[in-house]
Amino acid sequence: MTKATRRGFSAGAALTVLGLGKAASAQPAPVKIGVIYPLSGNSASAGNYSKMAIEVGADVINNGNAELAKIIPLAKGGGLPGLGGAKIQLIFADNQGTPAAGQNQALRLISEEKVAALIGAYQSGITLTASAIAERHGLPFLTAESVAANLTERGFKWFFRTTPVAIDFARAYSTFLKEQKAAGQKVGAIALVHENTEYGNSVASVIADQFGKDGLPITQKIAYSANSSDVQPQVLQLKEKNPDVVIFISYTSDAILYAKTMKELNWKPSIMIADNAGFNDPAFLKAMGSTVEGLVNRSAYSGGKPGSVPAIFNELYKAKAGVELDDVSVRGLQGFLVLADAINRAGSTDPAKIQAALRATNLPAEQMAAGYDGVKFDDKGQNVLASSVVTQLQGGKYVTIFPKARATANVILPYKGW
Amino acid sequence: MKRYLFPGALVVLALVYPLLVAGSPVWERLGALVLLGAIGASAWNIVGGYAGQVSVGHSVFFGFGAYSAVVVYTHLGWPPIAGAPLGMVLSVLLAAIIGVPTLRLAGHYFSMATIAVAELVRVLSSTSEFLGGAQGLGGPAMPRTVFDLSFISATPFYYIFLAVLAFLLGLTWWIERGRMGFYLRAIKDSERAARSLGVSSGRYKLYAYMLSGAFTSLAGSLYLCMFGFVDPESGFGILISVKMVVMAALGGAGVLFGPLVGALILVPLEELSNSYLGGRGAGLTFVVYGAIIVIIARFLPSGLLSLFERRPARPPAAKNQPASGHAD
Repeated sequence: MTKATRRGFSAGAALTVLGLGKAASAQPAPVKIGVIYPLSGNSASAGNYSKMAIEVGADVINNGNAELAKIIPLAKGGGLPGLGGAKIQLIFADNQGTPAAGQNQALRLISEEKVAALIGAYQSGITLTASAIAERHGLPFLTAESVAANLTERGFKWFFRTTPVAIDFARAYSTFLKEQKAAGQKVGAIALVHENTEYGNSVASVIADQFGKDGLPITQKIAYSANSSDVQPQVLQLKEKNPDVVIFISYTSDAILYAKTMKELNWKPSIMIADNAGFNDPAFLKAMGSTVEGLVNRSAYSGGKPGSVPAIFNELYKAKAGVELDDVSVRGLQGFLVLADAINRAGSTDPAKIQAALRATNLPAEQMAAGYDGVKFDDKGQNVLASSVVTQLQGGKYVTIFPKARATANVILPYKGW
Repeated sequence: MKRYLFPGALVVLALVYPLLVAGSPVWERLGALVLLGAIGASAWNIVGGYAGQVSVGHSVFFGFGAYSAVVVYTHLGWPPIAGAPLGMVLSVLLAAIIGVPTLRLAGHYFSMATIAVAELVRVLSSTSEFLGGAQGLGGPAMPRTVFDLSFISATPFYYIFLAVLAFLLGLTWWIERGRMGFYLRAIKDSERAARSLGVSSGRYKLYAYMLSGAFTSLAGSLYLCMFGFVDPESGFGILISVKMVVMAALGGAGVLFGPLVGALILVPLEELSNSYLGGRGAGLTFVVYGAIIVIIARFLPSGLLSLFERRPARPPAAKNQPASGHAD
């Protein structure tokens, strides 16, 4: 896989940022932030990209970036002004893709490294066990990418989540479709096609609930197994009912099958939406990109106009990682920036003060690296301004089409396909 | 009495260990993790070591234990530890169901069958809504009563695990010295010879398998109480089975203290290598971890405890076991 080789390339470069914490003698002690990610195991690729994204963020705060400083106050360089210019030192730990290792490492970062706060841990199950330790020790834990709904339902006082969750995706689709309806597109019949494990089932039911409230009629629901080697029956079902909009919630190989089969059976809806995952996979784009022109998708990453926060961060990240920021890495970066901002406002590494500062967080949309409307936490620690941008595949590349404020291209409908 | 020196020193050290490392949560936890690993590996040792039936699918019992604990919490609101007896009963039944057909298979074929069963259960569990699907289930987030066993320090877990391990090793010792122990060793050396001498080999292998399954399940329940979460991979994943085999083989399979010695080496090695090397993100942990296992397997194929078993007065019980051969 190309991802794996890229990771090997940048492993050496990744080490350099670690040295930044050691500052001159007059400097205040660096602020340690513990970062738990899957650096080995199944999700190592995602973990290592997120690690690099966070290193870019720490580098900007410690050493400054003139362009970003115009928009983000912390990007002036020279560390955290609220703590007398203390630099940020990142302490990374590998969760090895297991909930046990994640929890053990969280304990080590808290008790041995004495970090001021923790960020991580990518997989929802590992975030669950790692944050439980942070909660018992009274230390802030911020997750930037774990989306399991139950994480914020545990009554934790030290847990914060910046990423959007299923309900935010559903709202983005709903608003987008209502806007298209107002513009004259037909959205009278909507089909939901989802794979039948946890991911597909839960996202589908959240979308169905939200659409029900918003008066968007779901006329067809098709569940299927992501392992199936043939999706003709499902596509024939769609062809028979001929809905205006189809929303796919799929993994990679099934996404490829659907794209193929729809072309073979020569059927397409006028709006085709894919819920990230499989349809965002570079492998999917490589195999099927030319047959799904005009596909609508979601992402936390919106390239943005030149000079915007995401565009500048993307340049910095590309220089380090060799690839562009994407949905996962940008959420990690955003989570780190939120945590750094809170520690700066807390003016201290006292966990209770950081917790209070996180609760008072109120960051505007224009400071966002990710495509959120801002960051503001509710009582449960969920970012209520988290949102997704809607993207569309135009000329083989995803461009942002919604919301208007962040759009870099116009919507092209109906769906073109092949 | 030289032969009691090693176990005696071990017992004293085990009892005072938390006092020696008091104030360092990481080392307190490490002690508990070693004991938990030792419980699992010692449970495996009954069937894999003594009876020589190398199961590489023991995660199925571990997962039953972990899920039983979390299910009684999720669906009934009980403290997770209350699910431990349920897990043990279910595991004994499951062992009977799996064991009757698969224990007829010899050598590698038995190992392969156990892997297949564990993988099957893992896949099924990831589609079961009752078990939380692929996302898994979490235990009580905040302790409600002391029975939820949500401690900040790992020391209470340490003593709970120590008590369980002591009981398990005591039971194993009792079996080892009794008729069943002789039967199991006879079956391991040559099943055909044992049968010709009137040992009901099928029945005793099954007994060992059921007992082993019950205690592996208990290890799973204890794991859940400590970590508070299980999903199909961390409950039924093949790595869990492999770790049990490697620990027992490393210390000495079919030897009473073998799995404990294996856990004493492997668990700290795993934790410390991840702590000091893991953050660099190059997978260095597993390179070092694997290299040390290879070195031990190369130079001490019968496990570390074979170092102490070279005295001529004792029969070379731990030598040339098929068990350690499989685990290399």
